Amino acid sequence: MHMEPANLPYLSAILATTVAGLIAIMLIPAEKKELIRRVSAIFSGITLVISLLLFFSYDRSMGGFQFVEDFSWIPSLGIRYTNGVDGFSLPNLLLTGIVFFTGVLTMWEMETRVKEFYALYFLLVTGVFGLFMSLDLFFIFVWYDVSLFPMYLLIAVWGTTRKEYGAMKLTLYLLAGSALILPAVIFLYFKSGTGSFGFVALMQSGMSGTIAPWEQKFAFILLFLGFGILAGVWPFHTWSPVGHAAAPHAVSMVHAGVLMKIGAFGVLRVAIMLCPVGWSYWAPLMAVLAAIGIIYGAFVGLRQTDLKYVIGYSSVSHMGVVGLGLSTMSIEGLNGAVFQMFAHGIMTALLFSSIGYIYDRTHTKMVPELGGLSRVMPVASTFFILAALASMGIPGLANFWGELVVFIAAFRTYPTLGVIAVLALVVTALFMLRVVQHTFYGPVNEKFSHLQDVSFFLGIPRMILAAVLVIVGLYPSILFDVIHTASAPFINGLPK
Amino acid sequence: MNWMIAAPEIFYFAAALWFLMLSFFSKPDARREHLSSLLLASLGVLVCLASVGSQGYIFIQAFTADIFSQVFKVLLSLGLFLIIALCGNLPDVGERRIQDFYFLLFTCTLAMMLLVSAGHLLSIFVSLEVSSYSLYILVSLRKNQDFGLEAGIKYFLVGTFASGVMLFGMALLYSSSGTTYLGDMARVLPGMIDQPVVVIGLVLTLGGFFFKLAVFPFHFWAPDAYQGASNQVAAYIATVSKVAAVAVIARVVAYAGQESTYFVHVLVILSVASMTVGNLAAIAQKDLKRLLAFSTIAHSGYILIGILALNPTGWSGTIFYALALLAMKFTAFLVVVELAPEGQNLQINDLAGLHRRSPLLALALMVSLFSLAGIPPTIGFTGKFLVFVAAIERGYIALVIIAMINVVISLYYYLLVIRAAYLLEPSIELPALKPSMPIKLLAGISTGVIVAAGFFPYPLIRVAQAAAQVLLVGR
Repeated sequence: MHMEPANLPYLSAILATTVAGLIAIMLIPAEKKELIRRVSAIFSGITLVISLLLFFSYDRSMGGFQFVEDFSWIPSLGIRYTNGVDGFSLPNLLLTGIVFFTGVLTMWEMETRVKEFYALYFLLVTGVFGLFMSLDLFFIFVWYDVSLFPMYLLIAVWGTTRKEYGAMKLTLYLLAGSALILPAVIFLYFKSGTGSFGFVALMQSGMSGTIAPWEQKFAFILLFLGFGILAGVWPFHTWSPVGHAAAPHAVSMVHAGVLMKIGAFGVLRVAIMLCPVGWSYWAPLMAVLAAIGIIYGAFVGLRQTDLKYVIGYSSVSHMGVVGLGLSTMSIEGLNGAVFQMFAHGIMTALLFSSIGYIYDRTHTKMVPELGGLSRVMPVASTFFILAALASMGIPGLANFWGELVVFIAAFRTYPTLGVIAVLALVVTALFMLRVVQHTFYGPVNEKFSHLQDVSFFLGIPRMILAAVLVIVGLYPSILFDVIHTASAPFINGLPK
Repeated sequence: MNWMIAAPEIFYFAAALWFLMLSFFSKPDARREHLSSLLLASLGVLVCLASVGSQGYIFIQAFTADIFSQVFKVLLSLGLFLIIALCGNLPDVGERRIQDFYFLLFTCTLAMMLLVSAGHLLSIFVSLEVSSYSLYILVSLRKNQDFGLEAGIKYFLVGTFASGVMLFGMALLYSSSGTTYLGDMARVLPGMIDQPVVVIGLVLTLGGFFFKLAVFPFHFWAPDAYQGASNQVAAYIATVSKVAAVAVIARVVAYAGQESTYFVHVLVILSVASMTVGNLAAIAQKDLKRLLAFSTIAHSGYILIGILALNPTGWSGTIFYALALLAMKFTAFLVVVELAPEGQNLQINDLAGLHRRSPLLALALMVSLFSLAGIPPTIGFTGKFLVFVAAIERGYIALVIIAMINVVISLYYYLLVIRAAYLLEPSIELPALKPSMPIKLLAGISTGVIVAAGFFPYPLIRVAQAAAQVLLVGR
């Protein structure tokens, strides 16, 4: 595995920016809300700029891990502070940067406990960034938990529907996942015989068979279930719609947009890449669970009346597509899965951001109470409808490519499951259309007829997200090229 | 004989004597006593730091100074200093008894220092009893007599029972090994470790220490004693007393209990029972101190994991864990003490509105509770990580998975406390809390230490590893 050292610590700079932002927010008096928002926007903007810079300066012809930083951390246990990005993590890093920045802007109008909100939000995102860039399993675990525990307060304090229940359920579910991950990680550490928590060393032991087949199977299932809970794998998904619905808008954005990707990314990075034998053993199970998730999410989503629950269940369905891609054990499958992670992240962020604007005005997110909003606020409605179209997989928008590639791969490996899953996507399209129709068309609810449409400034975060959906939809190779640099060598290097 | 290696003990003996003399000849003055004890305790920390390097024996090997004992003495002295820093306002202890209070605190700490240095069954027993008796009285000293006395008597009854069990165990050990020195036992016992009488003798001997650490089934006193004792004394039991217990258990197990499958099985069962009982019972608690007591019982289960691994990683993990426990329990109790200026017992709901009344204390509470739950990057997580690594090195992966499930259970009740501090609004508007400057500083520093040591634990791990080297001598 090629490791290209960084000439400057760009990756640590991202972490340093979020931590500096966190400290800056903590030092500002709570009354100066406007200042806190501006500081948050500036610091999150810097992280976005750095991640864009990294995305475009990553050398696609060379591949492998680039911008690598490596320092000794706990020598006696072989723990090192190693950061680096490859084709799998780079799209996720960019996704985090985009969602982070647009999330800050989406919450611009919030007035309660602003300081604490942004402080926790920055802490959460620090963990997310750290996880995507870390190449040491100890740090991957640390960042995983750092990105989870602020969620409790973020949802319980600033959330809406059944917020305390949702917050508690989400936190306990996700930490139950970490309860499976940590033993598996330490287990691999000892079985590899490398005396190192470093990702690359462990991956070589997994590939070469130093970690015996049964050990890989055992560790894989623990890791798959642990990270899978966060990825919303059926039947461990039940925290997800409840949590989505309860969370404040920016947290829903980060949560559905990025946190669930952490789960899928963990399955890919830790479970699949470290235990390839376990992967081939458990892949059929992954495929079945993913297919059930796709179908289940679609049908349950059909019955929901709360906008956020609708999106929550559609997320379960869409994350099933990611899982299906990961289970195919092919280059196309991995390409499609990672692409879908990115596309789904942007798309859900846009959905939640749009709902956020509507909810802040109407104070309801129940579909039957809304109606005809496209006549009251045409611009705000457009954003939602665009994201809904992306969610249906309309060509020209990002999600189309992810789903297409995953299904092509799935037809080859699991023909029956592939057909069933594609049919379920028709149901997704159906319920998205139903929601769009009831919310934005039909008779106008008189209560809401006086509402203002979204201003230019408040529209910025939605415009960014919508633009990304369209750009990536029209020019998908901008992502596929990057992902391919990681998936092709990995699949070709698998032990036969 | 080189008396200088016992410098910390001599210092604390003198300090205790000073307060005893004061109580004979001087009228009590709460403020003066507090300042003088604070001064003595901080000098004590310096003395312990200065004697970290000393090594040697006094009274043949009954008193052993080595890097292991000296590191623990630093922790004990630090703990005493921190607890005394919380004693600025002691509404629960009558002014008349204030000198006795400090006298007992110093005596108890002295006894614990002797305990971590003890190398002979008799010196272990005597120092353990001295520290226990000081604590029985400290618990009963609470002005609110109903609470304090009841708790003191419960504590005393369970404690004497545990002492009896321990004496019986020591007798069995002596009868089978023919020696009373730990160093000799380390040579004799490995050959006979799977004999039932040795295993029973060891387990019963450990029973006395398990009582100190509140390991199931010797844990019954803990919730009542915590609830009945004044907040400061409860804090002392939760921190300093636990550190000493960890030290003596680690030493005895390392010297005597090597490579015994039966013995390890017993420890595994006790460990799982402690954490499960502690965590499940904690869920039902309304009283904050009782909740912390049950969480201590659960933590003793996690600590046993490091001890039963019987490898260097486990011992250094255990030592690190003791330090972590000191830091995080102290921080939690600091908040309890500050929130109860009249010394009353706090219910969880009394925390309502804390985030507005004092953001700093709310933050300190949150960080210490997340650390107790073992969420990174905190010192509590690193402690758990180290003992789990040690256990999996020996192949106890099922034990670690059980422990991790327990971590999730414990998170539930810690989150309930955090919820009370950050979400609940008090029914009547309470004034903002204005902690004094030293308390603010203390809260800030201890919170910072919890996070910093969680993120960059290596220097502390090095100390723990150095101390753990001593336990290898037994091999």
